[in-house]
Amino acid sequence: MIQDMRLIELKGVCKNFGDTQVLHDVDLYIRKCEFITLLGPSGCGKTTLLRIIGGFEMPSSGEVLFEGKDMTGIPPYKRRINTVFQKYALFNHLNVYDNIAFGLNLKTPEQLGVQTKKEKKEEIARRVNRMLKLVKMEGYEKRSTNALSGGQQQRIAIARALVNEPEVLLLDEPLGALDLKLRKEMQLELKAMQQQLGITFIYVTHDQEEALTMSDTIAVMNGGRIQQIGDPKGIYDEPKNAFVADFIGESNIVDGVMLQDDLVKFRDTEFQCVDEGFDTNEPVDVVIRPEDIMIVGEDVGMLSGTVESVIFKGVHYEMMIRDEIGGEGQGMLWKVHSTTMQPVGTRVGMTIVPYNIHIMHKAKTADAEPVSETGDKEA
Amino acid sequence: MKRSWYASPYALWMVLFTVVPLLFVCYYAFTDAAGAFTTANFTKIAQPMYLLVLWDSLRLAVYCTALCLLIGYPTAYFLASRDFSRAQSLVVLILVPMWMNFLLRTYAMMTLLEDNGVLNTLLRSIGLPGFKLIGTEGAVLLGMVYNYLPFMVLPIYTVLKKMDYSVIEAAEDLGCSPIRVVSRVVLPMSIPGVVSGITMVFMPAVTTFSISRLMSSGMVYLVGDMIEDYFISMNNRNVGSSISLVMLVLIILSIGFLRKVDPDNQGGGLW
Repeated sequence: MIQDMRLIELKGVCKNFGDTQVLHDVDLYIRKCEFITLLGPSGCGKTTLLRIIGGFEMPSSGEVLFEGKDMTGIPPYKRRINTVFQKYALFNHLNVYDNIAFGLNLKTPEQLGVQTKKEKKEEIARRVNRMLKLVKMEGYEKRSTNALSGGQQQRIAIARALVNEPEVLLLDEPLGALDLKLRKEMQLELKAMQQQLGITFIYVTHDQEEALTMSDTIAVMNGGRIQQIGDPKGIYDEPKNAFVADFIGESNIVDGVMLQDDLVKFRDTEFQCVDEGFDTNEPVDVVIRPEDIMIVGEDVGMLSGTVESVIFKGVHYEMMIRDEIGGEGQGMLWKVHSTTMQPVGTRVGMTIVPYNIHIMHKAKTADAEPVSETGDKEA
Repeated sequence: MKRSWYASPYALWMVLFTVVPLLFVCYYAFTDAAGAFTTANFTKIAQPMYLLVLWDSLRLAVYCTALCLLIGYPTAYFLASRDFSRAQSLVVLILVPMWMNFLLRTYAMMTLLEDNGVLNTLLRSIGLPGFKLIGTEGAVLLGMVYNYLPFMVLPIYTVLKKMDYSVIEAAEDLGCSPIRVVSRVVLPMSIPGVVSGITMVFMPAVTTFSISRLMSSGMVYLVGDMIEDYFISMNNRNVGSSISLVMLVLIILSIGFLRKVDPDNQGGGLW
């Protein structure tokens, strides 16, 4: 990785609120024009991390570099960063046009590349109109922000931030309040805007699907630590630990023991896998995606079980199948996705191909130990 | 039963104690002692002596409102600030004086400020010359501000407290220095509270009575005192009513003017 591609770099960032430490030694770098998502459950520290980058919070220790220069102590209004807030935070004493023009009005004519006040006014009008077009809100200039729907308010909030042509745009769960259909549309639009404008987007969400759809890079966070950084496919296919596996997509997570390279034992059964480099008899977490379990005839699968419930999910059926390890009704429930439905009460066999069995080191403490190689990203 | 019926007790109250008395005021204002129609009451109060009293009342009310705003806004801003945690108890402290009768409060104020009152005694005891307060216009203004200040602080505090903090962060984010955050966002967004505060201070201030008489030892004579005198000491309810009517029109005009400042009428302007 070339050092000068790094636009923002966080080094050993910690943050305490009183006695609670919300960020533990976070290392992260963000490249120019990258769409990076901070993904994690509520309370994982992702919003705090975003606010530290935006300058709204100061790190308790560690440093934040912008193009190699330390930004600690520089207030938000002096950073070339703009933010789209969770609740839009529009100025309801101003109309749509003046909301978008707010940041530009604060600048001197020289900063906008013109000489006179009149030219400044024209330049602002030009930029605001371009933004209105970008967010598809032409014709709404004179409207009061109170009269807009949630989706429209969000577009104005995005336009208000982007019109300042920031290096970096921070987005704090901006689509959280929108309905599903609108959210999906806005996801694609945001992604398109980001590619069109070539601006770095740092996006915070707890919605893994959103993260997978939009991001170039995802940083999965939990308990104030970055658990894994990588591209969406890498994170989905090769989660580094059970937390990431569970958070990104649905998973069956089973306790297992690694017998030797490429051979793991769980549910009293030995399975071929493709993972190497574990200690002999090391206890591990075994992660299997619901869509990777194949249903076969009874007694020909690797495990047998009985279907306990079936839910139709649109494209597939979600079945809960209880295996027979440990006696009648004592087995564990497996979540299985399949396009063919097995009625409740049917006894079936389950088969998993070696490639789809993911083996993970056990977390050393209860609250998910960080994965050490946090800086390791794919190019 | 239709929902609007639930308001009927209030409607009855309004008719009995607001509309009917108002009609009486109008009736007395346009009649003489014998009950015949006349406009003499109004020509009488158009004389310079009466207009001077009216002018003094308006002037003092404007001073009082301005002072309340000047003291009240920063107070409300401080109370509503995010990192101030004892705001609740301080707001109660601001409210406590309102639980007492205003005459009681004014008498207390007099005791403090009298020529031989607490303040002057204290000043003299440390060798400073005492100064005359009671009997001046300044004392009246002090009494008015003291009585009406909570009506300015509370509406502004409520508006500022309700303001979403992320709006302030958004302003910072878009390039506002801390001073500009206040001038471009906090102040304009708190206008409804300011309008409401001005309304609630100006209306009682312009019709102030007793406070003026007590604090100035009778030197400052305001419209409120004049109306009181006409009704009670002089037993001339006709002139008293005409003065009341003129005041009412003046108040309606000035409050209506506030609507121009606050077009959404969030602050409780009259129309």
